[in-house]
Amino acid sequence: MNIAADSTKPIYIQIAEWIENEIIADRFKSDEKVHSQYQLADLFNINPATAAKGLTILVDQEILYKKRGLGMFVAIKAKATIIKKRRSETLTRMAMELVLEARRLSVSEDELIQLIKRCEEEQ
Amino acid sequence: MKVIECQHVKKSYRKIHALEDITFQIEDHKITGLIGRNGAGKTTLLKILAGFVNEDTGDVRVFSNHPFNNLCVSANSILVDNQMSFPDSLTLADILEIAPSFYSKWDAQLAARLFHYFNLNPKQQHSKLSTGTRGTFNMIFGLATRCELTMFDEPTNGMDEAVRTDFYRALLKEYIAHPRTILISSHHLAEIEHLLEDILLIHKGKVVFHKSLEEVKEYAVGIQGPIEKVIEFTSQMEILHTKQMNDQLLYTVVKKDGPMNLEGVSTKPISPSDICMYITSDSKGGIDDVFN
Repeated sequence: MNIAADSTKPIYIQIAEWIENEIIADRFKSDEKVHSQYQLADLFNINPATAAKGLTILVDQEILYKKRGLGMFVAIKAKATIIKKRRSETLTRMAMELVLEARRLSVSEDELIQLIKRCEEEQ
Repeated sequence: MKVIECQHVKKSYRKIHALEDITFQIEDHKITGLIGRNGAGKTTLLKILAGFVNEDTGDVRVFSNHPFNNLCVSANSILVDNQMSFPDSLTLADILEIAPSFYSKWDAQLAARLFHYFNLNPKQQHSKLSTGTRGTFNMIFGLATRCELTMFDEPTNGMDEAVRTDFYRALLKEYIAHPRTILISSHHLAEIEHLLEDILLIHKGKVVFHKSLEEVKEYAVGIQGPIEKVIEFTSQMEILHTKQMNDQLLYTVVKKDGPMNLEGVSTKPISPSDICMYITSDSKGGIDDVFN
């Protein structure tokens, strides 16, 4: 993944999302150590303080936990927590945007559902 | 620990007020971007911090010392700019060889590796280099000193795109491996944004703000919508920039001030680079107004 400095999303949020994606994809497993702020800074070419901020928000959400002097580790329920959070926040927001755009373009509810079904089949 | 402390610093050259009133502090091991328009006072400020010129009034402390004519500051700091000069009797190789006698933490291995990577000619004289190559050599020199306070004044002027990218990458890698306090001046914020922790914005010799990059991203918001509506919304706010899109639409950038109820208009985040540009522009309009 590339970090886009000019994106509307703050860089530390993009870092947090990247780690979440790695956890969902089972590349970081429960109780495994994740990258340090310095490894993330090197990997994504960003300031280590920014990378640390990304890690901190995941600690605050109990997706990661800190072991003193050892680094950051994936919480046991991390994957479930992320999925739950994304379903209730991210997916709902995206659905809202979809409905709004459909209304702007006068796409009916039935047409919209048909469209989603078609997309499902193509995947 | 505070590496730099400035209190009401002023400096004039004859009748020109280069610095009007500069007050800020920088903690150790941070990368700070010194941002400002041409003539804002960036170079003067860096020269005072490096001890090259003396301030008129105010108090300047670098490692708790007054930098002008101070040996401790000279030995532990470096200012990399395009005015760096080395004696013509020395070749580039000679310069790298004697450098450790001036800088105790000099990393000869790093200097040699970068020197080789950028294909510099060891037999050349510093004054005979092209602008871009001289900039590259100065950057190598600056990084290899490992000075606790490392300052770059417009370091990428004259460098081509590939060298710029390499330079910023080398700077970050060096910082990760050997943290130090770094100050980079630039009028190209977008180019260095990803490296920075803090931004120090100066305009006409004064500090506009000193904030973390994330705070700067939250500093302002763009509002676009029907003209009357936007004017109504922004009547109590500090307007940084406005642009009339067409007969009905108005786009205004305002300083964010708590939560806002923005029904009927659309909002857009403003990049730090645009925020700095809007704040430091003299007229509230823009280049378009010249042509109207």
